Amino acid sequence: MKRRGRGIACMWYPIGFTVAANPSAATVKVNEDGTATLLTGTVETGQGSLTVLAQIAAEELGVATEDVHVVSADTDVTPMDTGAIASRTTYVTGNATRLAAEKAKAILFNVAAPMLGVRPDQLEARDRKIQVKRFPQRQLPISQVAHHALFVKGDPPIGSASFNPPTVAMDPETGQGLPFATYVYATQIAEVDVDDETGEVEVLRIVASHDCGTAINPMLVEGQIEGGISMGIGLALQEEILFDDKGRQINPNLTNYIMPTSLDMPEIEVDIVPSYDPTGPFGAKGVGEPTSVPTAAAILNAIHDAVGARVHSLPATAEKVLAAIKESRVQGTKQLPGTRRAIAGPAA
Amino acid sequence: MNDKLRVTEKELTQEALRDPTEALRVPVVTPPVPYPIETLVPEVRQQTPAVGQRATRPDGRLHGLGQTRYIDDLTFPGMLHAKIKRAGIASALIKRIDTSEAEAMPGVMAVLTGREIPVNSFGPSLQDQPVLCDERVFHAGDGVAAVAAVTEQIALEALEKIKVEYEPLPAVLDPLEAMKDDAPKVHPPASNIYSHKIIKKGDLEKGFAESDHIFEARFSTQMVEHVPLEPHASIGMWDSNGRLTVYSSLGRITLGRTDIARTLRLPINRVHVVATIVGGNFGGKNEITQEPVVALLAKKTGRPVKAVYSRGEEFTSSTTRHPIIMDYKTGVSRDGRILARQVKLYLDGGAYCSWSETTLGKACILSPGPYNIENVEAEAFVIYTNKTVTGAMRGFGAPQVCFAYESHMDDIAKALGIDPLEIRLRNAFSEGSISPTGQVLHSVVVRESLERAAERYGWQESQS
Repeated sequence: MKRRGRGIACMWYPIGFTVAANPSAATVKVNEDGTATLLTGTVETGQGSLTVLAQIAAEELGVATEDVHVVSADTDVTPMDTGAIASRTTYVTGNATRLAAEKAKAILFNVAAPMLGVRPDQLEARDRKIQVKRFPQRQLPISQVAHHALFVKGDPPIGSASFNPPTVAMDPETGQGLPFATYVYATQIAEVDVDDETGEVEVLRIVASHDCGTAINPMLVEGQIEGGISMGIGLALQEEILFDDKGRQINPNLTNYIMPTSLDMPEIEVDIVPSYDPTGPFGAKGVGEPTSVPTAAAILNAIHDAVGARVHSLPATAEKVLAAIKESRVQGTKQLPGTRRAIAGPAA
Repeated sequence: MNDKLRVTEKELTQEALRDPTEALRVPVVTPPVPYPIETLVPEVRQQTPAVGQRATRPDGRLHGLGQTRYIDDLTFPGMLHAKIKRAGIASALIKRIDTSEAEAMPGVMAVLTGREIPVNSFGPSLQDQPVLCDERVFHAGDGVAAVAAVTEQIALEALEKIKVEYEPLPAVLDPLEAMKDDAPKVHPPASNIYSHKIIKKGDLEKGFAESDHIFEARFSTQMVEHVPLEPHASIGMWDSNGRLTVYSSLGRITLGRTDIARTLRLPINRVHVVATIVGGNFGGKNEITQEPVVALLAKKTGRPVKAVYSRGEEFTSSTTRHPIIMDYKTGVSRDGRILARQVKLYLDGGAYCSWSETTLGKACILSPGPYNIENVEAEAFVIYTNKTVTGAMRGFGAPQVCFAYESHMDDIAKALGIDPLEIRLRNAFSEGSISPTGQVLHSVVVRESLERAAERYGWQESQS
């Protein structure tokens, strides 16, 4: 019969590389109409990172996201970037982008200050305008300032900046050090049905509470979490590269290497934990990799809760789950010799 | 005196704010008067809300309409197609490679072997990986020769005509076997244990001595593949000044350019790498694969050369996730507090290092879990085997160790009769906690995530 179980797993995960310089650089150019172009060496690998970077630049420049065009991933054009790896784009490239936008903005402020009759540090940029702090009535469109900067002042509003997370090398003997600038945290809870006659597991529901610092784009965070959970389910239950005794893969194809499809996906409830990291761009950290970290653990704990059997090796295929159920029943029998009851249910 | 002045000024400003006419009367001419008084950097969150918005992605429309141009959608005049011959044997010496029959085929424009590659090694930390094997095969997915032909089909047929003579060597496939002194060496004379990490905090023996219960368990995980929708793809072409352009599905073009320049022995500024939108990375496209091969075939033929991995090559010849054998020993008090934890990790490192050192580091650092533990020792080894290369993959070892420390946690909770949520809350990090590496942690919300997930799930209500 099918038995229902629930399992919880939490995790921590670092943003960026293990004690290695992993800088990113960015250039922000404000055009004469007040729109902007961002140059970044990072690569869009499907996660929406370029949208996030556009939002960061837009926030800093006080313009709309669609006002920022992103040019990426061309070694002749874009500044260096350590790459789309280690959940570092939002935090590291994002910080570089914000700093670059801040520099371009400073040029705009220098140009706008005499036009508005104030000091540059009394200005702020918002709603496509440069305005006097607390006196929003005194403002100029950012396009007018940019145009003035380029064609009257001859001071193009361009900013370039780089960011490298501060780390301290780990001691080779004791491992003590500051390997990463910051970490994110998450919890996932899985609900499963386990058939105790066949060992088959069905994941019904996953609640995922993830910390990513400020969610620059909550929709993309949700997308990352849902994608990460699908990889986590594959790791937990299905996927495995198998080798023959000579070291050759025997299932290098999608017929025999079974990945979760949309039909295998449970109901996913995403929860973004409110958090703010002062070292990140607008408080952001990152979310890419951590989304697939606690899924397998939560599912395996749910299997344990459902049938009282612990599977110690991934993936928890039906065969392994069934073997673990049988083993736990045998153990139950040994603990209670001579009783009939022991055979009936899972070990206590 | 100064403080007094500031107070007065602040009051003046607030006055001014309340009265719009007063606000409008801010002096127009320079030099600026001290309005407004507070010149602090504005709170970022008070600015135009771009951050926090569910902004649509500019590439979304192209994806939706099927108009995104991936590498395989690009074509250039006279472009050829390249394919790589795979060894199919896990460990062997290459005695002879005969390419004459393939070269004679109509439509075959060039054949390439490892000996023609200027610097036939690469890798992000250890340069132990040949672009094409020349003397020795280290795993079954290794490339031994490549062909450029006018069509993909001809290139595939030509691969069949390439004759490679091997002298088989004993292969080592199990990482624990490979650790033994008498095991065959994957990269002789180097030891099969190619990297090691240890973290020590507190006094482990004392921690175990003070514990009321000690739990031990071994966990293990499997090898999995990233399976991106878009397989590894690249196009190489040269201009008449001898400058190389590579279109590639790389996720890290800066490092990729360095590796391509190094293997081809070119100055870096003669290499131009363009990445298009990548159809899924997940860590599998963090280093070069066939880029030097297409570059050299393009050089030999004087034509652009494209190569795209088949799904089979994606499994056998790209990187995969490290299988890890994980031994946990944990000492706890009666009320479920972790007093000491010892972790030993054995990572199956595959045939080449790739991103194993990063994976080893992250797995080792994260292996004690997000818990306050006074006494910790975590030790990790990564070991060569004659198997598919293990490298970067979403999580760098974290999903594996999380499976172990969280399974272990539930077993402890059950044995002590404590609710799984409660035992985690008792041990979880909080703001200012010290990590196993001695780092003071900030913006720590593991408790909040536990509580919010439990609330959302209805953990208390569903108590059985």
